[in-house]
Amino acid sequence: MERVKPPRSAFVNFPLGRQCGKPNDPELQKSILKDALDLLTTATRPGEIRHLPFEWGAPFDWKNFMQDLAKMLEEEGTEMQEWKPKD
Amino acid sequence: MKPIEYVTSLDEWYQSQGFPPYRWSQFDSSPWTPFDKPLGEARIALVDSAGIFRDDQEPFDPWAVNDLSFRRIPVDTPRERLKLHHNYFDHRDALKDINCIYPVDRLRELAEEGTIGALVPEAITLGMGRLYKRTALQQETVPKIVEILKEQGTDAALLVPA
Repeated sequence: MERVKPPRSAFVNFPLGRQCGKPNDPELQKSILKDALDLLTTATRPGEIRHLPFEWGAPFDWKNFMQDLAKMLEEEGTEMQEWKPKD
Repeated sequence: MKPIEYVTSLDEWYQSQGFPPYRWSQFDSSPWTPFDKPLGEARIALVDSAGIFRDDQEPFDPWAVNDLSFRRIPVDTPRERLKLHHNYFDHRDALKDINCIYPVDRLRELAEEGTIGALVPEAITLGMGRLYKRTALQQETVPKIVEILKEQGTDAALLVPA
């Protein structure tokens, strides 16, 4: 977001795939949306990235991201596409 | 907790496989239009890059390169008619509750409650990744989307990346 600089943006530090909230937690999801939409009337400078105060509640990192992806692909019986650079 | 540096990690991962570095978009400035309405009167459009489509629409292909197509999905589409084709993030929670990445039900509730004026009748989904044709995206695809949003009286678009 820092590179792209949308006029107004909100950042939620949740894992990818859950950035609008935890599943089946409508109150959390609505709070996230309200805080994000609030930027429309309260942001004052272009390119602001507002960090919203929501906490996922457990640490996660790039390794977790790759592990979760692998688990998901295994559960669903699909494979990660093997991209090969063109020779 | 520090956010994950996805760009750095993706760069390292792909370059370790022999790919040339991806030229991430970088802009020097940010556009700005003042927003003068109270949120409770605003018509908000949902624009989402989660690979979601309706069962009677052309599916998104998770292996596509340079797919500049987008879908227009009525916001009252029942959940069972929505499909998600995206294998580059852990979508298991999204399959339990699509609002994790496509918050259509919550936005409808916010409209009913009066927090926002209205949710625009169609959501737009696009962006399957591996997009190298950035100019075409900006100069061809996006103006079409903007036209559609304007026709529906959109005041502001909420962009949800996924």
